[in-house]
Amino acid sequence: PSRRTEILNMHLEPQRNVVYLVAMCRAVPVNDLLDRASQRSDKMHSLSTLLTQEMDSHFPPYGRMQMPRPADCHTSALQTPNDKEQALQVSESDLMSLARSLLQAWVDPLAVLSTSAITLPHPSKSSISSKIQELQEHSKSLGDGLDILSGKMGPSAQAISFLPYTGGTDLGQDRVTILNKFNFLLSCLRRDSHKIDSFLKVLRCRAAKLQPELC
Amino acid sequence: MGIKHLHRNIYLSVCLSVCLSVCLSVCTSAPESPRKFDCRSREKETFSCWWEPGSDGGLPTEYRLFYTQERLREVRECPDYVSAGANSCFFDKKHTSIWAEYTMTVVATNALGNASEEFRITDVMEYVKPDPPVNVTVVVNSSAPSPFLEIRWKSPPDVDVRTGWVTLKYELRVKQNDSKEWKVIDIGSETFFNFYNVYPGLLYMVQVRCKLDHGKWSEWSNTIFAEIPKNHQLEKYFWIFVFVFSLVPFLMAMYIVLLKRNAVKQCLLPPVPGPKIKGLNAHLLKSGRSEDVVNALMGNQNFPPVAAWTEQVEDFLLVSDSDEWLLTDSFASEKNKDIFIIPAGLHLGLEIQRRDLSVDLNTWEKTDDSKEEAKSNFSNMEPINLPVEKHEFLNGEEKSIQPLASTSYVDIQQHPTLTDYSRVKEVNDNTILILNEEEIPHGLDAEEVKSEVSVPDDYSRVKEVNSDVVFLEKGDSADGCCKKKEDHYTDWTNQNKGFCLKMIASGYVDSGPAFSVK
Repeated sequence: PSRRTEILNMHLEPQRNVVYLVAMCRAVPVNDLLDRASQRSDKMHSLSTLLTQEMDSHFPPYGRMQMPRPADCHTSALQTPNDKEQALQVSESDLMSLARSLLQAWVDPLAVLSTSAITLPHPSKSSISSKIQELQEHSKSLGDGLDILSGKMGPSAQAISFLPYTGGTDLGQDRVTILNKFNFLLSCLRRDSHKIDSFLKVLRCRAAKLQPELC
Repeated sequence: MGIKHLHRNIYLSVCLSVCLSVCLSVCTSAPESPRKFDCRSREKETFSCWWEPGSDGGLPTEYRLFYTQERLREVRECPDYVSAGANSCFFDKKHTSIWAEYTMTVVATNALGNASEEFRITDVMEYVKPDPPVNVTVVVNSSAPSPFLEIRWKSPPDVDVRTGWVTLKYELRVKQNDSKEWKVIDIGSETFFNFYNVYPGLLYMVQVRCKLDHGKWSEWSNTIFAEIPKNHQLEKYFWIFVFVFSLVPFLMAMYIVLLKRNAVKQCLLPPVPGPKIKGLNAHLLKSGRSEDVVNALMGNQNFPPVAAWTEQVEDFLLVSDSDEWLLTDSFASEKNKDIFIIPAGLHLGLEIQRRDLSVDLNTWEKTDDSKEEAKSNFSNMEPINLPVEKHEFLNGEEKSIQPLASTSYVDIQQHPTLTDYSRVKEVNDNTILILNEEEIPHGLDAEEVKSEVSVPDDYSRVKEVNSDVVFLEKGDSADGCCKKKEDHYTDWTNQNKGFCLKMIASGYVDSGPAFSVK
């Protein structure tokens, strides 16, 4: 059973919202910052996709039907746009807030995954472990970048929804449970990293009206 | 009773078996549940799913799809069974949710029953597979320095790349027509690429594909062929090669020619013999000192006057002061007359008739050979062609030569006190003309005549000799010299005496034994 915590009231503001940019100093422009951020999120999504493929190479003991459902991901409570029309209607600040919330929600689970990967009963565990470490690095730097960006975008961009991970540090006792939990977490991570990537890319494209080549 | 039951049982079993057999052959049944479920999204906005039907049980079977979404509580039915083909369901934009789980239930129904199967779609993103790129063009760019392929393409038509919702990445592969291996290149999000690793004369195949948001790769696009034209680079190289290789021997030949230019000059342009005097230093001539010139011309020759005289019988000078002598003196007219000595004291009223002189000149000319012979006896010099100014000396002269009348020698007046020098006005080939009387400074030193004979007083002394002037010291000796001519006239041929002065063409003046002229 999932606990619904509505922390953020989603206002689907009309698209006419202007990105509120405060040029405090002659720093890197917002367009460039967004470009860098979306490149990082793209890398994160690529890594998580590779991870799930690598996990699937070793046939999971349980069939798909018995795996935990995506609705059971710890971030599923967050209301996010699910198609293009919805995504294009969300304001920039809200998009930024969503991305930052999701990113923040995965800090702890990534740490858990990282420690579990070392002793993972899987043939490709070293490769998996190195990818998870890389993911952590990217996550950290992306978080820092988004903090700076959101600072330029206003207070609503800086609000973060709290999405706690309640899975605990231990994935399980037996091999099957461990592998299944691992698999499930990775699938949740893949979905959330893709959301982050998509939102940031929509933001980048919207902020780069004068430079269509960034889209 | 037992037999009746037995008959009934037998009858029933037979009936049943017959029925069953009939039934089995023509019976219908409920359909089997569908198998194999697959979906595909081409652009991250819509998706379609297909299932494989099981056996339909011999009866017309209807398939229906019901789904639920992660967030929706209700069960919905497939909105479109047609657009994606048979046994399919097409979800349009309104019914597509990304990152949402779909639970699909396909129900097969016929008259006898139904069967269903559940399929789960965790995330539509897992089924994203775009169409291949379109409008792939390959243009051979033949510009220098080497040709390359300009490959261009466009994103698949239904993918919206303008909003940032979708990120397309491309991959391209190139292969030589007869090669087995493709060269694969990751492109990123651009829609063009320049491929440089091509060689002229070969045919290349190009294909492009794309993927959406790290999903599945599309199929490869149609193969585009491109042929690199055979360039003439090889020919260029060939001709450059030939040029360089022909340049080397050419340069060597030039170098050799340069080294041996003298020899080549000799060969191609044989020297034309020019006038050359042995012992003559051209530089001396250039320096311009007359003494040097004369020395050069004369060399260090001792001119034995004696030897010369023997042959110069004809070369002595006969001067007469009368026309009659000139005309009647056969000797004079026949022989070579070299020198006219005309006393300076004589105001030369001598008039030589032009006609006579011209006759004389003619004879002189005829006797050129003997003249030259004479010269050659003195030295082995090449004949010098001094201009024969035949008429010049007759022109513009203040005084003219006049032969002394009825004498065969010249009467030279004496100036007892003063040594009188007459300057030879002009000397041409065979003639010394003393026309002017000029005071000549005494201080001049005369160059001794090479004969080095102590000259008695009767002899005229040559004071100075240069190229065109002879300074003569006048005195009795001169008279004596010449006056005695007549006396020894007949002895000319055998004696070399009685000479006053001898001037040869080169300007040399020799004074031999003289005789006094009274």
